[in-house]
Amino acid sequence: MAGMKAPSTALLRAFSPLWRPQALPWTARGCVLQQQQAAPFSSTQRMEKKGRGAKTDMRITLIRYHLQHPLTPRPLRFSRTRALRHWTIHRAWRLYQRKLAEKRTLELERQYNSMAEACEALRLIDSNGLNAQDRERLGVPEPEMTGAKSDKDTGRLYRIAMRKDGIFNGAPIEYAKIQTETPSKDGWNHGWTK
Amino acid sequence: MALADVTTAFLRRVRPTGPAVFNLQSTCRYASSNTSPADAADLSSSPFQDSSACTPSEKITAFDPAARARALRKRGGRLPPSRYQYRPPRYDRGPLHPHQPPPPSDPASRLFEAGPFSLPRLEQTYHDTLASDFMTLSYTHFPPGESAHQKGARLRPWEGESPYYANRALRGPRGGDVLRLLRKPITFNNIPQLQGITVHSMVKGAVEDSAHLHVAGMVLQAITNVRAEAHATRKAVAAFGVRKDQHVSVTCDLKGEDMYHFLSKCVDVVLPKIKDWKGVKGSSGDSSGNIAFGLTSEDVALFPEIEVNYDMYPPKMIPGCHVIVHTTARDDRDARLLLSQIGLPFYGKFIN
Repeated sequence: MAGMKAPSTALLRAFSPLWRPQALPWTARGCVLQQQQAAPFSSTQRMEKKGRGAKTDMRITLIRYHLQHPLTPRPLRFSRTRALRHWTIHRAWRLYQRKLAEKRTLELERQYNSMAEACEALRLIDSNGLNAQDRERLGVPEPEMTGAKSDKDTGRLYRIAMRKDGIFNGAPIEYAKIQTETPSKDGWNHGWTK
Repeated sequence: MALADVTTAFLRRVRPTGPAVFNLQSTCRYASSNTSPADAADLSSSPFQDSSACTPSEKITAFDPAARARALRKRGGRLPPSRYQYRPPRYDRGPLHPHQPPPPSDPASRLFEAGPFSLPRLEQTYHDTLASDFMTLSYTHFPPGESAHQKGARLRPWEGESPYYANRALRGPRGGDVLRLLRKPITFNNIPQLQGITVHSMVKGAVEDSAHLHVAGMVLQAITNVRAEAHATRKAVAAFGVRKDQHVSVTCDLKGEDMYHFLSKCVDVVLPKIKDWKGVKGSSGDSSGNIAFGLTSEDVALFPEIEVNYDMYPPKMIPGCHVIVHTTARDDRDARLLLSQIGLPFYGKFIN
């Protein structure tokens, strides 16, 4: 019996709301001054005031506390190795981002150029799908010689392709879906058995 | 800069000083040029000259940091201290001041922000699909030798007899004071994209009771992941019962990751849950590619961050807000197309 130790209060101190340590954490240091009583000597006036006014909602008090207390830590300070490590990773990340952006721009440029080539080809062909060089090579007479109607046919598909009817009315809502990995295309495995 | 110290220290270590390294230098330096060694003796040594003629493999075999450190220790030299000894200046005193703040990418900088921490789906979708589709939709063809119509000078000179017209500032644009943005044809390098989002909330009740403002700030902070900023009124408005310098509104400016997350949260979670929501009004926009829409306080309560912890906020104090989407489009029409691709529907008459 003599050697028995008093039970430790460590768990109680850590988790029980009744055992509050006196010192606030460093993140709440800015609030200590605000929480101090304004009246140094007598609390009578405060008590009277309390009875008169409406009581503040506890939720608002909590929101104010959490809005005001300083959570921003000081700037990070790294040792030599860590600073070098951070610098290396940062440079590598910037390089990767740069390469990614260049790749995307090049891909878009490639698409743009092939669109331009396709439109140019469409602009020059007539109703038979032949442009001036093809006609010359195959010995087909020029459309001006045969009649006025075939002249109108030159570049017809191009003119249709350039129409912007209803394009700026917006994309259909089925299109406008942010791409996700789930749910999958087939969605549900209907053939599954235990 | 913190790293500058480290790098100079590192260079000092790398710069060869011992006799063994010196022999190597004298053999391989100036090997490819005709300069005589006598000339070279007159020149002071420089780290840039050392590497001129050495092949990389020779350099690698000569590189022995352990031996150099041993020699350094024998001489009584010390490595630079490992502890952080640099303090960024509190004030930026301009580009000519010798004490410069570190770049914002440096963790020692006061402007440093860690991240990005995620790759938003909306951003991926934009780069994979939306950008190229937008380019295709708004493609205009110019045959070789032709180009887009160039507008004339919009600020006209003053022409007339009056002597006061000489050297007078140019006339403003036709039809008003506003010099509109010019729209160039969309090509692969000016596809509109999202630039930022401003979430703004003017809280009427904050005139009477600051609790409204505090709750509004907390709500915006919760839904946007950005610290809310309170704004004071610039002028007194008797109709609203507002005096000058009263804090009645909060804003959050979202950029990058936060912006994408907020917009996809709106499009996927919040807006579909709103009852009888027709979409964004077609006349919304400031005719330079920024489009705004509003959310009522009931809509704001639908955000998942508010919904999971609804009891935390006094229900009557949850604010409504305006969401202003800034895009790089030069034109409301393009901005509307981009946002409708993302999933914001528009209704009514479209006004540019």
